[in-house]
Order: sequence, then structure tokens, then C-alpha cells
Amino acid sequence: MAATLCSRILLTKPGCLPLAQSVRHGSKAVTRHRKPMHILKQKLLAVTEYIPPKPSAAPGAYPSQTKRMEQESGLVRFLKKKVETTFEECKMLVVVQNNATNAEDMLLLRHRLHKHDIAIKFFPNQVMRSYLPSSQYRNMLPLFIGQTVMFVSKEPKVKEMLRVLRSSPQMILLGGCIENTLLSREGILNYSRLPSITTVQGELVGGLTLMTSQTVSMLQRHPAHLSALLQQYIKQNQPGGTPESTAPETTPKTEGAAV
Amino acid sequence: MAASKGAVVLKTVKKIVVKFCPFESSVRSTRDFLVLVGSEKARATNMNCEVITEVKHDRSEPVIDITFIDGEQLVMNGSNLTTQEMLSALQTRCVAKDPQAKAGGKK
Repeated sequence: MAATLCSRILLTKPGCLPLAQSVRHGSKAVTRHRKPMHILKQKLLAVTEYIPPKPSAAPGAYPSQTKRMEQESGLVRFLKKKVETTFEECKMLVVVQNNATNAEDMLLLRHRLHKHDIAIKFFPNQVMRSYLPSSQYRNMLPLFIGQTVMFVSKEPKVKEMLRVLRSSPQMILLGGCIENTLLSREGILNYSRLPSITTVQGELVGGLTLMTSQTVSMLQRHPAHLSALLQQYIKQNQPGGTPESTAPETTPKTEGAAV
Repeated sequence: MAASKGAVVLKTVKKIVVKFCPFESSVRSTRDFLVLVGSEKARATNMNCEVITEVKHDRSEPVIDITFIDGEQLVMNGSNLTTQEMLSALQTRCVAKDPQAKAGGKK
């Protein structure tokens, strides 16, 4: 449909227009419909698009960070103080997970524990997580995930607590801190099996005096028995030493005189 | 943290044993799963199903061991699974085992 028009300009001078110039008389530039862009023009426009510079920080960015720290509400601060006092007062702290205990079960549990002066405390995990890392109990942090309840008491009454917990199957003992020692569940069970202080002291004293009491009982026997024992002992230790067997005979004589 | 398909139905489950070490960091999903499975609603669907928890201290990974009524066992290692994944795995198997009851209930 396009007719080609070739016009020949005959100019022999150098630096001028070329000898043959063809002007293709094709479609018009200005059309009634939207003409699709030539691919080269498309590429050029795509490459030279204007990209506005992004602002490095939104105007309210930095100040809002400091504002976040101050948003710790009064309730959280109050709870934090409560947590601190609880930790300082109570020697025994146990963390227990509860799987949906009923309200009445909870009440029964509370009643039973109250008989032994054990209190049940609920603290939100967020408060615990913000308080614990700054205190000396930071290794207790992984215990406080999910639904946890804390049993606190001033006296470490572990046996009674375990008995009460056995009756409610939904409470799962996770671990605790008894007298500034972090214990796992097995640790708590072992702690409950320890004998009381008086028995431990008695055992210690008995062990220390064992050797001396044995010597005393041996000395208080008949001296002839003692000399026979000593002679036997020497014979066993030094099989070739016959002159030494006469030496212990003098000592029982002196003891016999003293007795 | 509700389940995606409604309540947990434990009709085909005989026993669930959950073992974990609370001082590990990867225990969160297992503990949440335990809360969901041990809740009153879930336990009410099957009173014969036992949910047993073992708390260990040996740095082991959390393991959930489920025994079904027909003897099949499902063992899940909870350290890299989310609660939703574990729950959906359990529910698909429950539904597969008991399709008639479920289909009747849904319709």
C-alpha cells in the first residue's frame, strides 16, 4: 500500500547529503487510534524512566523508637516490682504448666496448697521475660513459655507440694529454683527424697567418730585380746619380722597396769 | 491459637505421650500442642484416651508419640515443626481412619 518515492539528488560535493536518499512514504505519524510504539522507542523510554530518590528515613522514624521504651505501662512496672519482691522473699519457686484446669480444680489445688503455706501466682509471660534477664535467674527464662503457673513459698516444702500435684494430672512440673539453686524436675524429686537436716548431721557425726569409736572399743577389751590382735597384725604385715613381735608385749603390760 | 479445623477430635486415638525437656529452646510448639490436646474439649471427645507427659532434662528433642486404636503409631519430632503442622498431621490421620463417622457428622 505504500508507494515508494525515490528522489535522487545529484550532488557530487563531499560532505553533503548522500547520493541516493529514499524516503519511504508509509503510514502517518498522527493517527486516530493509538499507534503502538516502536520497540526502540519503548526500550529508550523504559531505560530513561524517572526514579524519584527514596527518603532515607521517614520523618517520624527515629523519635518513635525512644517512645516505644517509655510505653511500658504502669501495670507492667507494678507487676515487675511484685515479681521482684516474690523472688526475693521466697526460697522455693516452682514453675508448672497447666493444661486447661477447671476453675473448681484450681480452687481445690489452691486450698490444698494454702494449708502448707504455698501460694499460687500468675504472672504474664511478658513481664517475666522482661524481668528475668536482668536478674540472676536468667536461666529460668526458657521455662516461661505457654501457660505457666508459679508456686511460691517461703519454706521449701517439696514433699507436700509433690503430693498435691500428683492428685491433679493436668499440672506438669517443669522445674524451679529452690534456695537459689536452679533445679529440673528430676532435681526437685531428688531434693524431696533428701533426709532432713538433723538426720544428715547425725550421719555426718557418726561417720566422723566411727574410726575413733572403733579404736576405743578395741582398747577397752581385755588386754590379752588386744595383744593377740596386734601380734597377728604384725605377723601379717612383716612375715619375716620375729624380733618385732616382742615389742608389742611391753605395751599391753603398761595398759594392764593403767587399767 | 485455635485449631484450623475446629476442635481436636481424639476418637481414634488410644494414647498420646509427649516428652520434652523444658530448658531447650525448641520446645514451644510441643508445649502448645500439649495444651491443645490436653484441653477439656479434646479430652471430652474421648475419655479413654490418655495424655501422658514426661519432663526430661537430657537436652533431647521433644517427641510426640501417638498410638491409635488400630495399633498404628505416629511419632513426631517437635523441634522443627509448628503446632499447626503437628495438629494437621494428627487430624488428617484421624479423619482417614474414621471417615464414616466424620462424613456423617459433617453432613
